[in-house]
Amino acid sequence: MSIALGERQQDMTLLQKLRNVNWLLVLLICVTASYGFAMLYSAAGGSVDPWVTRQSARFGMGLVMMLFVAMVDLRFWMRIAYPFYGLALCLLIAVDVIGTIGGGAQRWLSLGFVSLQPSELMKVALILTLARYYHGLTPEDVGRLRYLFQPFLLMLMPVGLVVIQPDLGTAILLLMGGLTVMMLAGVRWWVFGTLMAAALAAMPVFWANLRDYQKDRVFTFLNPERDPLGTGYHIMQSKIALGSGGVWGKGFMQGTQSHLNFLPEKQTDFIFTTLAEEMGMVGGLLLIALYIGILILGFAIALRARHTFGRLLAGGLITVFFVYLFINIAMVMGLLPVVGVPLPLISYGGSAMVTILLGFGFILSVYVHRDLQIPKRPGGDPF
Amino acid sequence: MNAPRPDATHTYDRRSGRTRAQVALEGATKQAVETGHARLLAVAAVFVLCFLVLGGRLVHLTVLRDGPGAGAIAQAVSAADSYRADIVDRNGLLLATNVRTASLYAEPRIMMNQDEAVAKLATVFPEIDKKDLLVRLHSDKSFTWVRRHLTPKQQAAVNALGIPGIGFLDETRRIYPQGRAAAHVLGYVGIDNEGLAGVEKAFDAQLRGPDAARSKRPLQLSIDIRVQHILRDELARAVTNFRAIGGAGIIYDVHSGEVIAMASMPDFDSNAPGEATAEQLFNRVTLGVYEMGSTFKAFTIASALHYGTSGLDDTFDATEPIRVGRYQIRDDHAKSRWLTVPEIFMYSSNIGAAKIAMEVGTERQRLFLQRLGLLSRPDIELPEVGAPMVPTPWREINTMTIAFGHGIAVSPLQTAAGFAPLINGGVRVPSTLIKRPQGEVVLGERVVSPQTADTMRRLMRLVVEEGTGKQAAVKGFLVGGKTGTAEKATAGGYARKALLSSFVAAFPMTDPRYLVIAILDEPKGTKATYNFATGGWTAAPVTGRVIARAGPLLGVMPVDEESGDVHKAMLISTRKGRSGAAF
Repeated sequence: MSIALGERQQDMTLLQKLRNVNWLLVLLICVTASYGFAMLYSAAGGSVDPWVTRQSARFGMGLVMMLFVAMVDLRFWMRIAYPFYGLALCLLIAVDVIGTIGGGAQRWLSLGFVSLQPSELMKVALILTLARYYHGLTPEDVGRLRYLFQPFLLMLMPVGLVVIQPDLGTAILLLMGGLTVMMLAGVRWWVFGTLMAAALAAMPVFWANLRDYQKDRVFTFLNPERDPLGTGYHIMQSKIALGSGGVWGKGFMQGTQSHLNFLPEKQTDFIFTTLAEEMGMVGGLLLIALYIGILILGFAIALRARHTFGRLLAGGLITVFFVYLFINIAMVMGLLPVVGVPLPLISYGGSAMVTILLGFGFILSVYVHRDLQIPKRPGGDPF
Repeated sequence: MNAPRPDATHTYDRRSGRTRAQVALEGATKQAVETGHARLLAVAAVFVLCFLVLGGRLVHLTVLRDGPGAGAIAQAVSAADSYRADIVDRNGLLLATNVRTASLYAEPRIMMNQDEAVAKLATVFPEIDKKDLLVRLHSDKSFTWVRRHLTPKQQAAVNALGIPGIGFLDETRRIYPQGRAAAHVLGYVGIDNEGLAGVEKAFDAQLRGPDAARSKRPLQLSIDIRVQHILRDELARAVTNFRAIGGAGIIYDVHSGEVIAMASMPDFDSNAPGEATAEQLFNRVTLGVYEMGSTFKAFTIASALHYGTSGLDDTFDATEPIRVGRYQIRDDHAKSRWLTVPEIFMYSSNIGAAKIAMEVGTERQRLFLQRLGLLSRPDIELPEVGAPMVPTPWREINTMTIAFGHGIAVSPLQTAAGFAPLINGGVRVPSTLIKRPQGEVVLGERVVSPQTADTMRRLMRLVVEEGTGKQAAVKGFLVGGKTGTAEKATAGGYARKALLSSFVAAFPMTDPRYLVIAILDEPKGTKATYNFATGGWTAAPVTGRVIARAGPLLGVMPVDEESGDVHKAMLISTRKGRSGAAF
């Protein structure tokens, strides 16, 4: 039976594929993004300019791209996983060498007509590559020490490049995404235990190498009241705004903290504050519920996939999505230091939106091709 | 789902030769799948945990938020905004100050009778939202604001009510008595009195530093608020009259580098920055950079005189437009004949200016503009300062277009600072918004010779007397200047209808002290201007009216423009071979 289904899935028509798309997930993504548009509309003082028009246009294009990615045969994505990774790595090196300076950090590569953030591409490429790598290993090999070397190298090269940019948020996302794929693949628990211990031991060295502004953020995180008008300002204002929201919020477009410009970055990284101030606890929990819905569907897709590649790909990507939203919300609520990570599908900004939708494109592709039979090694090794 | 199809079974049969391997693989796959599922569930469990933390924190922050929380924050902030120095204009008139106010709060937890309290408070504040206050007083919070920034009368009345569980916190509130007049210079502060824009931000540390608190000395700006009102008033009127999308104006002391007035339209009220749009908050004088158009011809001719590549009686062929590749350089007020250098300036010939610049040469042109400070971000005590847009690489075609102010974008402030040496005797002085002490000698860098500066003064006077700038003339103040009408760059070219019209004026031209620049962004012609929207028709009259009103306040004495001395000082010949008579 499974073979029959598998055989049939090897050559689906476009129509069959479209019917196979998980439309509930697509709907949830659209609803969440629309919630974001409403908040951007409010943050702009009740105007579609300057944020909603551009953001919705980007979302529309991203949605088309997502469905396109979902339609393409998963084996194709598997085949180009290594080249894709190689390209993203080259671009990352290119920004470090010739990147234009934006916001104090070298992150953008100007292609003349469009600015590209290679670290965003890398978030997807890394998951894709690791998923492919582990797909080709037997369960015994996964546990062997010598098969740990390549994945770590694949992961640490981009992480290193991102850290020197410096972009701590992206580095964390890459690490978490990569480690999750390894964990899902069945790498032994002791490996992660050792890593954790090593990380703790490396803390002092890490601390010594942080930039001053990053140290400031950590101090401020530990005690925001230390400097309420200086580095603690973001978090203090954010907390005041959250606290002033109450259960039901002040009402759409009624937030005083955000509208009087006391809230920094109200349309990007701190948009959750605007939301919680105006929509209150209920509005904040509603967004979290939407996110949980998306995550549950993502996990269901990962569980349902009959091939290791799909399971790792969907599992890894949905984890990246989770890490995005967790870091952002926790930061805004003062549970984590300030790290530049946007709220997925909500924050204003094109680069992150493209990454997220590209990721969901792959997740949907896993679902569409869930019963596909994929041989262990359709192509060679990464090295 | 469906029953297996026959060909599927067939496939299975074909592979039967490798049955054992298949089974082994099946077993391994099964194990992998099981591990995979277990691991996925482990990750999901971690997520659930994280969400519990997030949800709990959200509920805690938005609803439960108890104990010292809000009260402590209010106290901390209250303590932080203790003192902030006043800001005054150059004559000591108050531009920004603080008013100490009392704010009324309640501690719902220790209140005895909420309903009675609300009823009593309503007698003092009839407009208060009783329902909302009642809800808040019945809540479990330990702190809530009742009303912020009370008048002393209200405070006395509340005290007389004798309600237990309420109290006052001292707060200070930043007040700008002049409202909109100097909004872009002063900027504004946030609710906790921290400077967020303008001088308030640039001098934030100094204004609330311990020294300021000890000496109680105000920050004195170079701005003259009387003149500032005049500039803003005339600019606003012109923006309305010509239906422009914006405007910019600056009055600049060419000897000291002090900014006497600076206005940007549309503007905002520093007392209520939250109501302003981004467009209103934008300072066009310092943050905006524009292709200034023909006003740049002053720099072109000054450079030619400075390097000696052209003299006043040299002539240039302006009969035909210049073609360079796909570009064509034309004249707007085409005379279609050979022009002398003064004629090129007064009729604003693009062709002539381009040819003059070619003789100066690309490298020297760049060096000259650089020494005038036009190629780097200007120094001024404001956070909102824009960097100029300069061509790289700087080719011959750039040299030609920059000669008449296209292909390079600078801020109006830079334009003023760049013009100053051309008329003050040749010295570049640093710009400032802070009043220079009386008698302070400003050390500058010599950029052009006194002779070149003298010629430039005569040329600028000529433009107002006989050229494109006649409408800037004010009897007795000897106004000189240069018009500018730039087509605004749009995607893929220049828009012929969207203009940036400007006029750079200076007075009195016998010994210029003040520079006045007026810029209108996309003005539309009116019946009175015969539908012209050029700098000569829209911006020049603004500078004229500003000078007529502000000149006497600035201590400039009107002179008899027909007197022999004035004639001699302003003499210049536009015809070939006779300019020597001017000297």
